[in-house]
Amino acid sequence: MKDASARLLVAVDGSEASAAALACAAAQVRCEGRSLTGVFVVDTGWADYIGNDWQSAAGARQGFLDYVRADQERHAAAARRQFEEATAGLADCRFEVLAGDPAECLVARMADSDAAALVLGRETFAVCGRPSVKRLPQTLAAKLGAALQLV
Amino acid sequence: MNEQGLIDKLPRERFIEKLPRALPGLLLIVATTVAIRLWVEPWMANAVVFEQKGWLVKVTHLNYILLGIIMGMAYRNVIFGGKLPAVFADGFRLSRLFIKTGIILLGSLYTVQAIVKLGAMAIFLIGGFVILSIVMVLWLGKVFRMERSMTGVMANACSICGVSAAVATAPAVEAKPAHVAYAIATILGFGILTMFISPFLGHALGLNDLQYGAWVGTGILNSGQVLAACLAFNPNVAPGTAVSVGEIWNIMRVISIPFAVFIVTVWYWAGHDNPQRQQKTLTALLVEKFPVFVLGFLGMVLLTSIGAFGDVGIKGGPPASATIKMIRDWMQWIFGIGLVGLGGYIDLKELSQAGGAPFKVGILVGVTKYVLALIVVLVIRDYLIEI
Repeated sequence: MKDASARLLVAVDGSEASAAALACAAAQVRCEGRSLTGVFVVDTGWADYIGNDWQSAAGARQGFLDYVRADQERHAAAARRQFEEATAGLADCRFEVLAGDPAECLVARMADSDAAALVLGRETFAVCGRPSVKRLPQTLAAKLGAALQLV
Repeated sequence: MNEQGLIDKLPRERFIEKLPRALPGLLLIVATTVAIRLWVEPWMANAVVFEQKGWLVKVTHLNYILLGIIMGMAYRNVIFGGKLPAVFADGFRLSRLFIKTGIILLGSLYTVQAIVKLGAMAIFLIGGFVILSIVMVLWLGKVFRMERSMTGVMANACSICGVSAAVATAPAVEAKPAHVAYAIATILGFGILTMFISPFLGHALGLNDLQYGAWVGTGILNSGQVLAACLAFNPNVAPGTAVSVGEIWNIMRVISIPFAVFIVTVWYWAGHDNPQRQQKTLTALLVEKFPVFVLGFLGMVLLTSIGAFGDVGIKGGPPASATIKMIRDWMQWIFGIGLVGLGGYIDLKELSQAGGAPFKVGILVGVTKYVLALIVVLVIRDYLIEI
């Protein structure tokens, strides 16, 4: 069993949903002396979703993918700012940007870290994700069980 | 990883570097197509169900095209649990190249004269439906209070060419990608539904190839789905078959993408707080968005017209040459392979999340267009030009 004072992971995207999750996570850090990692996931599933293939010319569907990536960069930057503001004055807090499927990345990050729980806003990543991200809480609840704190 | 410069840091490989990795997926797709065409389809044609030989084919109208798409969908959504394994993913991506290659080869079904005859009719029908769809989306966008940028995306997606038009328009009108994703889910979901029901309706209504091709070419939004719906109705690839008609309609729409993007962009920025920001000219959009495979298709038409492959086999003329027959055999295999891959990219998990105003607008316009196209084709059936 993981230590109650162990690290928390919180999914951050710069939105109101992730602000609520971040506030909840930061409160636990203050009260219980936990450490905190904020995570933003650059969703790499867009190419398959829009049916892009690797033969497409740069001006075809790739143009939209570059537009999506730029949008995700903006959200990643907003997530970092949001995390830094929420954790100002707290020790042992760090922010990471991962790339991949949001659900898979968060499950893998939980598995290979010492984190005791993942704190997630109900609509986190909905501002920049594919439609299936709407089911992220259900997917993570099934895969993480008690280690998920849904805000 | 820092968020700055993510675009540059995420891996991008050249075509040739990815080719070996595509082999496992490609082998799976080819093996599936071979199994369906050589064993499953013949078995279905001879199987006795409800005391009737061939019931599975006569009643369900399932042929190797629909079976291939269903099998592709089953790979992703059932067998592999919602995601293609990495070992097969590049092979499935490569299969889209087969569809484009097949469409280029389809140019061998037409002469320049036939293209002019069919194309004139297609421009008339397609043009009318494009204008109707755009007007309807702009009106519904106001009714459902959709963001102006999303209205622009939906106008092109519903009127021109589905996903291709949506993703071509979105950056030009600053649509939020997450919103565009819902529009895409609606368009794809509606297209998949029509792809499966159109062959049944076409047979039930007793439509001939020309009427059916004109209907689905006008009423179905996505290129791959038009192709699949035509081949599901009649798998033969020859002048005058459903695919030869439907694809001309489709190519007319695909060609119009840059023009439609330009028009919607002008409309969007005209109503924007800062109208000076519109940057792309029509020439720039033509260079950037023109579908290159259409040039290959037109090149093939030109070669066919000058007799490079022998006689085409147009109705009333000399029979098709051996070369032309061989190209048509290839096309059936190429489309079969491509459409198994297309099925592998239908992600039911994504499509099931479609909703909101884009869903309502997409369904209303899609159904109106689909039904109205059928009515118009039935009304003008005596005036449709055969090749």
